[in-house]
Amino acid sequence: MSQRPGITLGETRSGFVGRLRTTLARRTEGRALALFFVVATVTWIMEPIVFTSYQVTLGRIALIGLVALGLTAVILMGELDLAVASTLAVAGVVMASIDNLALGIIAALLTGLLIGVVNAFFVVVVGINSFIATLGMLFFLRGAAFVISGEEPVRLANIDAGIAFGKPFIGDLTPRVLLFIVAFIAIQLFVTRVRVGREFYAVGGNREAAYDAGIPVRRRIFTGFMISGFVAALAGVINTLERTAADPTAGSTVLLASFAAAIIGGILLTGGRGSVFGTLLGATSLGILQVALTLSGVQVDVQNIIIGLVLLLAVISDPTTLRVVLGNARAFIQGRSEIQPEG
Amino acid sequence: MNDHPDSESTAQESSVPIAAPIIEARNIVKRFGGAVAVDDVGIAVPPGEIHGLVGENGAGKSTLMRVLAGILVPDNGSVMVDGVRLEPGSTRAALEAGISLVHQELSLVPEMTVAENILLGSTPTRAGLINTRELKQIAAAALEEIGVSVDLDEPIVRLSVALRQFVEIARAIARNPRVLILDEPTATLTPAETDYLLDMLQRLAERGLAIIYISHRIPEIFRICDRVTVLRDGRLVDTADVAATTPQQVVDNMVGRELKVDLETRREATAPGEVVLSARGVTAKGVNGIDLDVRAGEIVGLGGLVGAGRTEFVRAMIGADIKSAGRVTITVNGREKRLSSYRSAVHNGVAYIPEERRTDGLALTMSVADNIALSNRHELSRFAVLLRGKIAKFARSLADTVGLRPPEIRREAGDFSGGNQQKIVLAKWLGRKPSAIVLDEPTRGVDVGAKVEIHRLIRDLALDGTAVLVVSSDLPELLELSDVIHVVRDGRIVGTLPGDVADEKSVMTLASGGTGLIGA
Repeated sequence: MSQRPGITLGETRSGFVGRLRTTLARRTEGRALALFFVVATVTWIMEPIVFTSYQVTLGRIALIGLVALGLTAVILMGELDLAVASTLAVAGVVMASIDNLALGIIAALLTGLLIGVVNAFFVVVVGINSFIATLGMLFFLRGAAFVISGEEPVRLANIDAGIAFGKPFIGDLTPRVLLFIVAFIAIQLFVTRVRVGREFYAVGGNREAAYDAGIPVRRRIFTGFMISGFVAALAGVINTLERTAADPTAGSTVLLASFAAAIIGGILLTGGRGSVFGTLLGATSLGILQVALTLSGVQVDVQNIIIGLVLLLAVISDPTTLRVVLGNARAFIQGRSEIQPEG
Repeated sequence: MNDHPDSESTAQESSVPIAAPIIEARNIVKRFGGAVAVDDVGIAVPPGEIHGLVGENGAGKSTLMRVLAGILVPDNGSVMVDGVRLEPGSTRAALEAGISLVHQELSLVPEMTVAENILLGSTPTRAGLINTRELKQIAAAALEEIGVSVDLDEPIVRLSVALRQFVEIARAIARNPRVLILDEPTATLTPAETDYLLDMLQRLAERGLAIIYISHRIPEIFRICDRVTVLRDGRLVDTADVAATTPQQVVDNMVGRELKVDLETRREATAPGEVVLSARGVTAKGVNGIDLDVRAGEIVGLGGLVGAGRTEFVRAMIGADIKSAGRVTITVNGREKRLSSYRSAVHNGVAYIPEERRTDGLALTMSVADNIALSNRHELSRFAVLLRGKIAKFARSLADTVGLRPPEIRREAGDFSGGNQQKIVLAKWLGRKPSAIVLDEPTRGVDVGAKVEIHRLIRDLALDGTAVLVVSSDLPELLELSDVIHVVRDGRIVGTLPGDVADEKSVMTLASGGTGLIGA
């Protein structure tokens, strides 16, 4: 039974270098890693202070990255969650509205889970495209944050806890950075080692196959949105603690930054491809870039221009994408029209 | 087993399995909308038997198998495993009963590894975590059973199409099936890979598996199958012992009589003129230098197996895809023009009706009239403004020509049946009075009535002097329409048959490589 077939099999490389090459070729983080090295090297030369005052940089990365990690779970299944930033704001306001700190935090996190459930309900049960469903939630929750807070920042009753939260906790690491690391490890393990999480890839990569194989696709999508909502709420809790107040406008830049981090990290928006580690790399590159530009005195508007360019470059420079882009460009020049013929 | 004597097809009596069947389907009926895809079909397979299932495209083979695998709920009839009725429409129940289907479309998850795909949906866990060691053990055992060695950690995207097919089979094997159903597994394989797969299936059958093998390659059926069931237009035509029948008999059963009559009427109508469309040395991905001429009033057919490079060739020829070498010209009214791009092809009177008409050929949410106006917008507008009245008149006359049903040009194209959508695509191009028309699988997924009408339209085009190039995997269609058939294999033309000489067997012989696989 074990005789070798007379057919050509996949390439097998031997030796350390060969195995390394095979492993690298299988990863999706290539461009995120390349971008990370470029950004890190340039920053090291131009603004070494970004690394010497690493606490600031890490805080920035954690701010961008936490929401992106939760988002990754949803995007892996080929769905989108545009409501993350609004969830962050609502969770903060809910937390600050409750005088007891512990109860407030629990209420905020439960709010995040509930939002995830509602999002998934619209996507899975009602059958609305997730872009539209979560766009609706985006507006709804942003409005809700203003109504609950009375359009004013809500001060935290226990300001001392907030001040303590901003202080280094273990070594030089603040609780925010520690929570970010914990979230990263948890989600990374979830989608690589836990069956439910691993099946996210099947749901996003080939949903029909997932159904046929008996994977409960709807339940997986519920889980994904709940993770995303929970992590966004966690980010809201952290924000509120650090600022000792909940601002209904909080997180206005978080939505786009977290999507950017995930995309730079090699996540395919249609699902099934990418990794949590990639998102971490994407968030790290963006964080370093932002801090470096700020320290160099570059205005926020100009920063956005640069980040936009980096995002486009990062996406185009992906080897697979690059081939497609070149093909498209060639076809465009040759005057091919796939969609409708020209008369 | 015969408690419903009237339920058994008469044709089946000629061949009763010796052992009790593992799987038996009775009186299966499946309708899609108004169309009957499977009409009162029964099939029974004992352990150790390889049962061939053949029929033209659209004969209902895949539908029947999807019913057996619990993917589709039949409108009538039942599936029994060991005499116990299977819950209809439950993939889980089918899997638990030991029915494993190897899909025609590959159903693997591209970014997951070989091992993960083999155990998709039944990943072994320990304390909630994936048990990687057990996962790899089971996957390795399944691969070993079919004798294929491949790195278990390789993501599917990095495998060749053939290896993916074998992984798909390994997945079916890993479920410890008692019934293995394969739907056209060799469509994308090379001859050597096909050989290997067929030997493998025979080994599996010797170990007591019941195998249902769907293929349109008759030689494969005669090489490995014990019995063969022929479907035509959703009905069971015959179930016979392979030893007691001949390839010709099977083909005759597949094709039926009426199309042959059609074949006779077709011949006289042609008197080809000058060469209109000419390709020299066209080379592209999957196409290795094809020369071809199509004359005015001539219908040239391109035959071959799926994946032989026919679609790739026609797309490269008309400039819809990039060609790496070759020269294509069109001659209209004695003026030769070189086709350098799709735009120039269309501009010079080439019409192209693609395989995937739903995605490539029609704007489904636009009305019939607007779709027709899209490709004729210059004649139908003045100062870049589309003229409503003119469009309606134009569209109505074209809808009438192609016999659109219902003839409502204001309806959205997506509301029409597959056959009528194809008519809309044809109408779009007819309005331009093309000098040459290239059709890729013009009647795939089209009901029989619409098929006849589309064939009539194609013939009328040729009679009007249009050069027609048809790609079709539907052999009777190809034989019926074509004045000359070029057979493509591995991106080359391997043989050319005049329409009055070509038959199913000769085309198939060329298409499949013609070696020892042919005949019985």
